[in-house]
Amino acid sequence: MRIRYLVKKEFIEIFRQKELLPMLFIAPMIMITILGYVVKTDVENLSIDIINLSQNKAAVRIINRLQQSPLFNVGHVYYENRDNVDTLKRGNIKAVIIFRDALEKPLGKDSPSRYPEIQVLLDGVDSNTSAIAAGYFNGILKNYILTDLRRWGAPLPVETKTLIRYNPQLRSINYMGPGIVALMLTIIALFFTSLSIVREKEQQTMDTLLISRLTPIEIYIGKAAPMAIIGFTHMTIGVLVVIFWFQIPVRGSLLYLLLAAPIFLAAILSYALLISTLVSTQQQALFFAWFSMILFILLSGLFTPTENVPGGLRFLVKINPLAYLIKIIREIFLKGNGIEYFYKELLALAGISAVILTISLLNFKRIVSR
Amino acid sequence: MKRIRAVIVKEFAHILRDPTSLTIVFLMPVVMMFIFGYSINFDLKHIDAGVIDLSKSETSQQLVKKFLNNKYFILQDLEENHPPTISPMETGEQLLKSGELKEIIIIPADFSQKIKDNRSAEIGIIIDGSDSNVANLVYQYNELIILDFISGIRGLDEMVKIHTKVLFNPELKSAFFFIPGLIATLLVMISALLTSLSISREKESGSIDLLFISPLKSPEIIIGKTIPYIFVSLIAGCIILLFARFWFGVPIKGNLLVLLVFAILYIITSLSLGILISTIAPTQKIAMFITLLLTLLPSYMLSGFIFPLQSLPPVLRAISRIIPATYFLKIIRGVVVKGAQLKHFIPEGVALVVFTTLLLAIASLKFARDRRKSK
Repeated sequence: MRIRYLVKKEFIEIFRQKELLPMLFIAPMIMITILGYVVKTDVENLSIDIINLSQNKAAVRIINRLQQSPLFNVGHVYYENRDNVDTLKRGNIKAVIIFRDALEKPLGKDSPSRYPEIQVLLDGVDSNTSAIAAGYFNGILKNYILTDLRRWGAPLPVETKTLIRYNPQLRSINYMGPGIVALMLTIIALFFTSLSIVREKEQQTMDTLLISRLTPIEIYIGKAAPMAIIGFTHMTIGVLVVIFWFQIPVRGSLLYLLLAAPIFLAAILSYALLISTLVSTQQQALFFAWFSMILFILLSGLFTPTENVPGGLRFLVKINPLAYLIKIIREIFLKGNGIEYFYKELLALAGISAVILTISLLNFKRIVSR
Repeated sequence: MKRIRAVIVKEFAHILRDPTSLTIVFLMPVVMMFIFGYSINFDLKHIDAGVIDLSKSETSQQLVKKFLNNKYFILQDLEENHPPTISPMETGEQLLKSGELKEIIIIPADFSQKIKDNRSAEIGIIIDGSDSNVANLVYQYNELIILDFISGIRGLDEMVKIHTKVLFNPELKSAFFFIPGLIATLLVMISALLTSLSISREKESGSIDLLFISPLKSPEIIIGKTIPYIFVSLIAGCIILLFARFWFGVPIKGNLLVLLVFAILYIITSLSLGILISTIAPTQKIAMFITLLLTLLPSYMLSGFIFPLQSLPPVLRAISRIIPATYFLKIIRGVVVKGAQLKHFIPEGVALVVFTTLLLAIASLKFARDRRKSK
């Protein structure tokens, strides 16, 4: 077991870089905690202004409902018209709702103009928030009208019973949390491993390693093993944080994660070592690692669904190991699916891993043999 | 002034001597823009929904048709497409589990009868909630369609009129939201990265001592080292902007000059952040690490670029206020998409000026302290 000494040496080297240690051990933990709070896509506390030009009592009651709703944060209620476009341009207010009295007189008793005319001005820049805000507002209004109708003795023609599966409270952290663990694993493994070989090149200690009795494969494994161990520790802590701190339910078996994570780590570590053998300075290594990291993250489906990635870039999603890990990790955490639902992803991940590992190893041997 | 100019000239020589880095600085944003621009997209194009219509009546078909005519839904009749061994309901549940369906709509057998009798008819809907954001949108679209259906029956349209008008981005394209934000995040990253290497490079090569013993005052060195990069970042910024305008078709509604003024201000703030990092970090590698960590995560996560600020907890909201990108993001979205003017963003502009002054002052103090120590 000559490898053991190399692994030990690598660990010593990692721990000797005092300035980098906080980044290796503290930053990921801060990141996962902060990200856990940030990655909320839930729309709430939307700032709105109201302009009430209506004499109608219904307008006041609807405004009351809006003020009580946690979804909206009613800033001002004005009683005269203003330059609303200007307000929206500043960007602090996301919508202005204007109540007016209907101009036409009611036709008869059965079609009363009990309700004011309502105009909603939405800031469309954040398309997502706008669509949800419009939906919320319609919901509040509909509710109001329907309770009103009920009071008048008219039942609702249609009632919907909506059942939400897998994430009944629609907490976005349930969806994002497990993905963040995968993200953290990628960042740590990619950055630190990409430095490992090029550092020896820069310090010109590579030759010492090469004239030792270690075979290239042993050197390769010795370089990867410490980061694999650190990565695993991080992942375990990360999983514990999302489960116990963010209270994310685990519906499936975490054993599948123990199956998928090593395959994924093999892909990332061998990719990072490939970078490390190809570049000539640590700075270049960091730059490439950082650039690849952004690609991995953006095309992984963590923040935005991959279905929207256009055809030309699709193949990048298909060869992105992080995309598969995130898919698998979500199946395990949220849906509690067994392996029969994601064995295809697992096989694809294994295939990608094998290809990257082969390229990386061959390249390493080629460089080493020179 | 003359002395600052000397530092500027020297720094320019550094920049021009290294064409590779310069190419990376100009090329990187374009590549990033391309990939970001295509991959970040929240638009919900189609919702795969399964329908089980047990009522099979004219009324229920009207409702189904409302879903069909909505461009967001792609309907699948589960009663026609289910394997003979299992029921339509079970088929639906399985497709929901494997992610092929986002929701199942069940119309019960007594649906049309109940409506005819003026009683409440019920519809069952099962939504895949795993992606809360998508689920929320699906739910809202359902409600809108069903509200529309109810209005059709009850004539609610006659009673209440809602006119919804979407300003600035009537087609609700998410590119209008992301592309300007991308410019803000890319600019801070490039700018800070550029200056973060400038002093740490001198530390590594040992030439810092020459700067230390020069007659130049510390603020002069700091400012002189920052100024050349304004041009580099500005060129990179213009490339990004052109790309946004002509490749992604994001219209620039506001005044280009206003945008330029704020952009230069923001670039200077970002460069100052980089120079501060540079005075602290002992090597270029560490400077790079700190910069990537400080610019990437906060300006992506806490500036409102992807995740709405209003849903942040108070502590993080406070942090978001000390991130320059938060302010520039608001400005650039306002000017580019909404056609806002200078007067709309006075407070944001002031905030950026304050940041710049603080960052430069701290950097100068730190530099001066190191200088005293080296003596």
